[in-house]
Parts: sequence; C-alpha cells; structure tokens
Amino acid sequence: MTNIAAAARRRAPIFLVAAFALLPLTERAQAQKPGGSITVGQELDITGFDPLKVGVYDTSTFTAAAAIFDTLTTLNDKGEAAPKLAESWTHSDDYKSWTFKLRQGVKFHDGTPFNAQAFKENFDRQKDPANKCRCAFYITNVKEVLAPDEYTVVYNLTDPSVNLPATITIQSQNNVVHSPTAWKTKGDDYNRNPVGTGPYILKSWTAGDRMVLEKNPNYWDKGRPYLDRIILKPLPDAQSRFASLQSGEADIIWDDENDADNIMKAQKDSKLTVHTYKGSGAQVYAFNTKQAPFDDVRVRQALVMSIDRPKMSQAISNGLSRPASNPYGDGSWVKCKDDGALPFDLEKAKALIKDHGKPVEFKMLVTATPRGRMIGQVLQQFWKRAGANMEIEQVDQATIPPRAFTRQFQLVPWRIVDLADPDPQMYANFRSGSPLALANFVDPELDRLLDHSRVTADPAARIEDYCAISRLINKEAIWFWTFQNTYYALSSARLKGFPKIYNGVIDVSSTWLE
Amino acid sequence: MLNFIVRRLLAILPVLLAVSLLTFLIASLLPGDLAYVILGDQATPENVAALRRDMGLDQPLWWRYLSWLGHVLQGDLGRSFRTGQTVLQAVAERIPVSLQLMLMAEFIGLVIGVPVAIACAARAGGAFDRFMTGSAFAMLSMPSFLMAILLIYLFAVELRWLPATGYVPFSEEPLNNLRFFVLPALTLALAEWPGIMRVLRSDMIATLQEDYIALAKAKGLKPSRILFVHALKPSSLTLVTVTGINIGRLLGGTLIVETIFALPGIGRLLVGAIYTRDLVILQGVVLLVACGFVIVNFIVDMLYAVLDPRIRHGHA
Repeated sequence: MTNIAAAARRRAPIFLVAAFALLPLTERAQAQKPGGSITVGQELDITGFDPLKVGVYDTSTFTAAAAIFDTLTTLNDKGEAAPKLAESWTHSDDYKSWTFKLRQGVKFHDGTPFNAQAFKENFDRQKDPANKCRCAFYITNVKEVLAPDEYTVVYNLTDPSVNLPATITIQSQNNVVHSPTAWKTKGDDYNRNPVGTGPYILKSWTAGDRMVLEKNPNYWDKGRPYLDRIILKPLPDAQSRFASLQSGEADIIWDDENDADNIMKAQKDSKLTVHTYKGSGAQVYAFNTKQAPFDDVRVRQALVMSIDRPKMSQAISNGLSRPASNPYGDGSWVKCKDDGALPFDLEKAKALIKDHGKPVEFKMLVTATPRGRMIGQVLQQFWKRAGANMEIEQVDQATIPPRAFTRQFQLVPWRIVDLADPDPQMYANFRSGSPLALANFVDPELDRLLDHSRVTADPAARIEDYCAISRLINKEAIWFWTFQNTYYALSSARLKGFPKIYNGVIDVSSTWLE
Repeated sequence: MLNFIVRRLLAILPVLLAVSLLTFLIASLLPGDLAYVILGDQATPENVAALRRDMGLDQPLWWRYLSWLGHVLQGDLGRSFRTGQTVLQAVAERIPVSLQLMLMAEFIGLVIGVPVAIACAARAGGAFDRFMTGSAFAMLSMPSFLMAILLIYLFAVELRWLPATGYVPFSEEPLNNLRFFVLPALTLALAEWPGIMRVLRSDMIATLQEDYIALAKAKGLKPSRILFVHALKPSSLTLVTVTGINIGRLLGGTLIVETIFALPGIGRLLVGAIYTRDLVILQGVVLLVACGFVIVNFIVDMLYAVLDPRIRHGHA
C-alpha cells in the first residue's frame, strides 16, 4: 500500500500535465460584443481607494478596484495564477524570495509609466510605519519589495510562501497598483480620485449615488475591455436591489445566501442568471480555550456535536447554506478523505457535558444585525438541547475584531474567506503566537504541520499536511465551522463573460452584453 | 411684530445650545472606543493609546465639548475618518436630495389630506367620513418599508411605469429626476396624509360648531366660502404645527425610505455613519438636523402670528 501510494504521488505531475494538455481542446470560443453600459447594484457605499485612508477594501470596493486597477497576477479558470502585470515569475529554493518580470509598455491612466519603481513605491508607502496604515497588517509577511531593474520586482518574505503568485491575485488594497504621481499630486483628494492601470477609468463619482467608470482606450490588453461604461450604484436594501434587477435598472447585483428567497426567484426567471461560486473557506467560530468552560475539551466537543447543520441551513437560508466539516470547503484544492469532523450526536454531547460535571454557561458574540441575531438564536437552541446555556452578546460589527484581538470573548464568530491558497489564513488563525490565533491553543504538532505545509511545493504533501491539521483541530474542537463560503451574483441573462467569484469579488471588468 | 420675532429668536439660542450639548454627549456616551473602531485589526494597546492622544480623546469631556463647539461655530464640523470628506461637504452633497424628497412628500400629503379633511368635516358622520377615517387608520398602521416594497413591486416590477431605485439630479434630467422621486415621495406621503387629515378634520368640525359659523350661515353666505375662508383658516393652526413637525421629522427621518430606494440623501448618510461608527459624521448630521428642526419650528411660530393676530399681540 505504501509503495503504491508513493508511486502514485511520483506520477502525479505527469497526470497533471496530461490533463492540462487536453483542456485547450474543450475551450469554446465565445463572441464578445463590444459596446454598451451596465449597472452594478452593490450592498455598500464605497468609501475610497487610498489604502492610507480606508485601510481595507470591502466587497463593493473590490468590484471597482478590479476595473480601475490591475494586480501582478490573476487566477485563470482553473484557479491557478496567470500573468497580468507580471509576465512570469520564479522563486528561491526556500520560497522566501519571489521574482516577478513585469509587462512592459503599461501606463497608468494619468499617462505615467508602470514599472518596478512604481510598484515598489506602492508597497513602501503602505509599509512605512510613519503612515500608520492599517493595510500594513496584511503584508507583515513581506519583509521588503525590491526593484533591481526597471521591469523586475522582488518580494523578500519573512516566511516561506509556496503559492505567493496565487495569493496576490485578490484586488485588495495591498495588491492593486496606484499611480505614485497621482497620490503625490492629489494628496487627500486621491482617496476619491484613484488612478490605476486597469481596463476602466474613474469618470465621475457622486457619493451615495453612483460611480461611473469608462473604458480605458489605452489598455495594455488590446481588444479589452468590451463595455463602454460601468455604473456602480449602492443599493443597500436587498428587496429593492433585487427589484432593480427585475425591472432592468441594474444588470448585475451582489447577493448572499441569507437572501435565499430572491435567489430562488431568480433561478426560476429565464431573464436572469444566477452566478454561484463554491469558494474555499467557511464561516467559523473560535472558542477561547484559556477561559472556562472552554478550557475543557469535552465541553467544546459537546457543543460542536450538538449542531445540526442541515436544520440550521434550512432556518437561516432555506437550505442554500452548505454545511462545513473542515476549514477548507469543497471549493479548495485541499480535499480530505478524512477531515476528522465530529459527527452530529446529541446524546454523546449530553454525555460529555454531564462528564464535565459543572454547569456550562457562556456568552457568544454576535453582530447586531438580523443575520447575526438569527444565527445566535439557532445555535442557542441547539446548545440548550445538549444542556448548555449560551447568552447572546450583540455588538456592532466593528467591535468584534478588537474584542477578538484582545481576547475579550468566550466564543467569537469569524470567517475564513475564499483565497487561492489556505496558507495565509491557516497560518494566521492557528499558528501559536499569531494575533489571529484566537483560540489561544498551543500544540507543537499543529505548529510543525503549519510550518511544513508552506515549505514544500508538492501538492500531495501539502494536502496531507492540511488534512492532518484539520483532524487535529476537529479533534480538539478549538474552532468549529458551520457553513462553507458560497458566493452569489444575480444578473440579467444578457450579461456574459462573468468570471468565477474568486475571493468573493464580483469582477465585471471582462464582461459584455449579448 | 418685531418684538415677537426678537423674543422667539432669543428663545432659540438656549435650545440650540442644549441641542449641541446633547448631540455631543450622545456621541461621547456611545459604547465602544473610537480608537478601536479606527484601528480595527491593528488595535494593539500602544496603537490605541497613541491614537487616543492624537485625537484628543484623553482630554476631559468638558474640554472636548468646548473645543468641538468652538470649531462648530467657525463652520468646521470635522472630517470623516473613513472617507476624508468634511461633514459640511458630505451633507451639502445630500441636502438637495432629502429636501426634494421631503417637499414632494409633504406636498402630496397635503394635497391628499387637506381636501379629504374638508370633505369629511362638511358631512361629519357621513359615509364618506367614516370610510376615509377608517382608511386613514389603515394607512397609519402600515409601516413605510412595507408600503415601499408594495409600491416597488406594483409600479416598477409589474407595471414597469417607474424605476425601482436610483436618482438623477434635477439639473441633469428634470423629468427623470421627478420619475425617480414619485415612488419614494408617495411612500412617505401615504404615511403623512392620515395625520394631516385627522388633525384638520377634528379642528374643522370643532370650528363648524362655533357661533360665528352659525351667524355666517344665517346671513346667507355661500357654503363654500364658509368652508374655505371662515372655517379653514381658524382650523389651520394645528395643521401648520403638524406640517412643521412633519417637515422637521422628514429632514432626518427618511432613513428607511432613502435606504430602500437608494436615494443618496442625508438619511442614507446617517445610516452609513451608524454602521461604520463614523462618529464625526454622526455628530455633525444630528446637529444639523436638530438645528433644521428648531428653525422649522421657529417658522411655524411666525406663521401662527400671521394666521392668528391675537398671538402676534401677545394675547391669547
């Protein structure tokens, strides 16, 4: 058995190459049609684009950033890193240094050239302690970015990163490239007058009303983009946002599974298309294992085994939510034969709590939103049946991170978002010493596995590591997962070319109207 | 008359001062630390302490209030830490939207409410009176968000006569601008006219019982003149009061309707500020809305003097 497994692993690369060779034949050419204008209905107002001002981009900002800016790399249809502003890349043996060769002849919307120095200035500006940018938190793993010549960028990392090119594809504040000339000349106004290299240029922006993006006639990718204009409108109310799609005022809208009724209506409407993407990651909850009663593994296991996920899914999203049994989800390339999930078993949960001996009473933080309250109440009911009493503590969304970081919680909701590689979040969430390792649980084997998974390039070996990590976390029940990440966008059937909702980003920069 | 105006203006000053103090206290007493909100995931104890010092949050409350008040009196209500916009800038962009919505809603409400009230009062107790009074109660009972969703479904999704959401400035496309406002204004108006109608109706009925009305009838005046001149004007004092209160409330109270219809008005700005705990915007908007309310009530007081000369001369 061992020999067969080893032989299979050695042959894996050949199988992969063969599979790739076959794929091009199945590509079907689509007739992209230039021209036209679309309106995107978003949940949130965009607050701005200057990383120094806004700190972190949100869902709405991502959509605009994907059109106004470019990233070095992008994800292809198979979820692998593909060239964008960077044409090729190599890494050092220890994966601590990555070298990117930049595309030449690219210009920012203000006419200034995009080159290695421009990229480095973006990075240095965010990293500069004097600027106190919140965005620096997300690039603490990058020691420095160098520009050895005009079209070469070197990332020197503090820790190994096997899949860096895939993780820098998300159009976040750390990855999109701004024009240094623009932010220097515009100062505070740059936040609302962003300049990038992307397929669209910001034409006008009336806060709270609309943002108009127009086609960049000098885009480096000839022939793209297809649409003449993209209009982004904040439509905060889910019902009227959906009504706008039905009545034709919006061509594509953001939605999520808590709005199950409208998603199901859209599925029945031949004029609409429901775009759904099974992302990696999950909605997760962290126990504070340094505080009673969660310092007892039996209590933690009992609570996890009391959760009836299919019923919970029915209660909060008419069954659209997909139960999760590990932090990776079906959308990840990490697929485990055995992820060590604790089964739903109410009787065993009761027995464990009885074995604990003391009353189980605790508070759980939830967001003060209808969604947060509902989830809290459902979990409360499950746990009551097992003999535990949970008190719901409602706080506004902005309060959860500081409470989490200062460990002022017993049970806190969190999310592992869809990323191309599990390393950034698994390492951040579970490595001892990390500010994001909320459970405060220290396990040498867990640390060893997390370290090893980021220094080997062999996918099979990494899968083994990540599945072992899942089994360990599930057994100790230091975090638990309720549902996988499922992303939705609803659009007019006329809208074509909409890509997968990688990282939860609704990217309309490549779309066209039929 | 001048004395009356001066007396009313002097009465406003302490009110405005009290409003500013309450606004400041409310913002300061909200749970949670502002520094944590701004720092988010970088909220280490050292960062929090440094930021609190930078923002003056380590100063005593009274010092902060006087400092803030000093800036306000110079027209500086602060700058949002999220967007970098000044409060005045953010509000100025949105005032036209909220004003238009409020004016259209109030106009439609009055156009429906006043004639109905007069018709009901003219035949108090009749079939029309009972029907409309019942309808008014039904309308009052319906929440505005439900009305909004129903109107959107009917006129935008099914009939496709009007847009479901959105906004176009009047200066750009006047006709389209009005089309976008019909549903939101109607939503608010349908919630407004019952109050207007009931207040005016009961006042009219009371006025029609007065002796001088009987005298006017005895002298042979036309019924329409009695209704619209001798009865309506004396009955309109409370109507003016209610309208003034409605206008004041609508200035800041259209949060739900603006959110549902995605109108970029002051209400939306307020909701956004609450969600993101942008206290600078929150404080500024609340102060401005409160001042607007006070000013509207001042205008109502002036109208009292016009409608009832006895008030103008200080006798009741």
